Amino acid sequence: MKVIPFPGGSDTGPEESWLAELEAALNGDGKSASADSWRELRADVRALAPPMDPEFERQLRERIAERGARSIPKGARSPKQSQRRLAWLRPTPPTLAVLSVAFAVIAAVLITAPWRPAGHTVESSAKSSSISARADHLGPAFGPAESAPVAGASAANAANAPVAGGAVSAPGRVQQLGASITLTATPSNVQETADRVGRLAVSDGGFVQSSHVNVGQGTGEANLTLSLPSAKLSGALAALGRLAPVRDESQSLQDITNTYDAAAQRLADATAERQALLHALSQASTEGQIDSLRERLSQNRSRIAQARSALQAVSQHASTAEVEVTVVGDAHAGSEGLTLHRGLHDAGRVLVVTLVVLLIAAAVLVPLALLLLALLTARRAWLRHRRERVLDAP
Amino acid sequence: MSALVPSSDEHASQAITVSRPRRLDDVTFAELFRECGADVHAYAISLLGNSSAAEDVTALAFERLYKSRSRLDHDRGTPRAWLFAIARNAALDELRRRRRQPQGELSADLPGEEDSEATLEHIARRATVRDALAALSLREREVVLLKFHGQLSNSELARALGISESNAGTRLHRALTRLREQCAQLDREEVA
Repeated sequence: MKVIPFPGGSDTGPEESWLAELEAALNGDGKSASADSWRELRADVRALAPPMDPEFERQLRERIAERGARSIPKGARSPKQSQRRLAWLRPTPPTLAVLSVAFAVIAAVLITAPWRPAGHTVESSAKSSSISARADHLGPAFGPAESAPVAGASAANAANAPVAGGAVSAPGRVQQLGASITLTATPSNVQETADRVGRLAVSDGGFVQSSHVNVGQGTGEANLTLSLPSAKLSGALAALGRLAPVRDESQSLQDITNTYDAAAQRLADATAERQALLHALSQASTEGQIDSLRERLSQNRSRIAQARSALQAVSQHASTAEVEVTVVGDAHAGSEGLTLHRGLHDAGRVLVVTLVVLLIAAAVLVPLALLLLALLTARRAWLRHRRERVLDAP
Repeated sequence: MSALVPSSDEHASQAITVSRPRRLDDVTFAELFRECGADVHAYAISLLGNSSAAEDVTALAFERLYKSRSRLDHDRGTPRAWLFAIARNAALDELRRRRRQPQGELSADLPGEEDSEATLEHIARRATVRDALAALSLREREVVLLKFHGQLSNSELARALGISESNAGTRLHRALTRLREQCAQLDREEVA
């Protein structure tokens, strides 16, 4: 039998020329015997494989044709068109940059939004006690009809007063509300802002308890203490926030139910004593008894007046809220719309916040991306290793 | 000799016609199947030695190529090379799954219509090549099969194997040298 002449007799590593000769021979370029032998070898190897089953080939061809028909339905988008249409969504560097900036700006706007004062706090010092027990206790304690409406109305006002900022007044409790708010204005506008605060208090049914305005060269500050109906506290604070930018705002709530109950009890006791004295007076028969009872009635009237006054004072505390307003003169504060300085200041703040947001996002996303990349790389390496191991099996 | 199989030169030129389409759309995909389907099947059955497994691998290779056609990077290889890389992975997965060695379905018998033109010498030589191929390790055999069935260039071969081009050249050189030696040895034994 004829021995097939194989080219490339050298057993050393492949030479560039050897590979080039092989490529040329397999591409049909070489005309030498060596090239012919390579082509014969390829033909022999290729001829060893049995042909594809015609039925399988037909089925596969049909499946491929069917895939093609399904992927390009009449009037529908072709993959090319959809790719073109969605091309702008591909994560190219400009797209990523635009998305990052948009994300950062949105975050900055949300963080620096003016509707969220920086120092907004709510304090509450409510004391716990039984609501139903108090209601039962107060009911029979109020004797004279004239005292009940005052106390009842005050308690109702305090109980129903809405409290902004999340401090919820418990029904049936007597609570004293308070708030403090700091507004910023340019020094030249401190006086005017203070005046507007005073007018606002009056229009809400309150009054200015005290006011102190100090305006100097380039500085200014006003301190006002307002007394407002508790029911209007929330609206008044909102209105104050519209007068000037709010730098700080806090609200407080103090439960004075016990104080109120004590005052009401004293009034009830004094009233009961008066009833008893009047009854005894009607039964008295001697001058001495009558004089003594009248003396005690006189003292009792004084006690009733004191108790009623104390109760009214407590009720007054519950029905009115004390608001401390501070107007700070700030040369950078812009209470009259956008100025160049304010715009630059805000732009700088937005940039700082943007950088912070980007830094935080990068701190989170970069390790995650690296971890994901490492996992994907490890998975690919493992798959490849698993496949290559099959080739080394004995 | 050239009448035994389709002309390799002709085949190579056909491969070149589908090697550089601008985009692997459905028309090109059908064309690719027409021109490469038999080669992929031949590669798979030569490596796996099982016709049903080879059909599975062939179908899977085209399926995967179809699904990943949008990611085809023409600068990194032709669709044919990509197809054979996919087919190789599928074939190795199939081999691993079955946990068995290829079985001898390789045949040196020629199709009936070509029997008239076949000579005894051709039949004997192909039997020698078949036995020599079977004597190679699986790793050597797959390089030869990828090179001859896939008709891949050295760079494409390297990419399909996941190794450098120089390593692929070395591996190809060793495999063909071993094949040549095996053929020579078998010839000597037959002569003796």
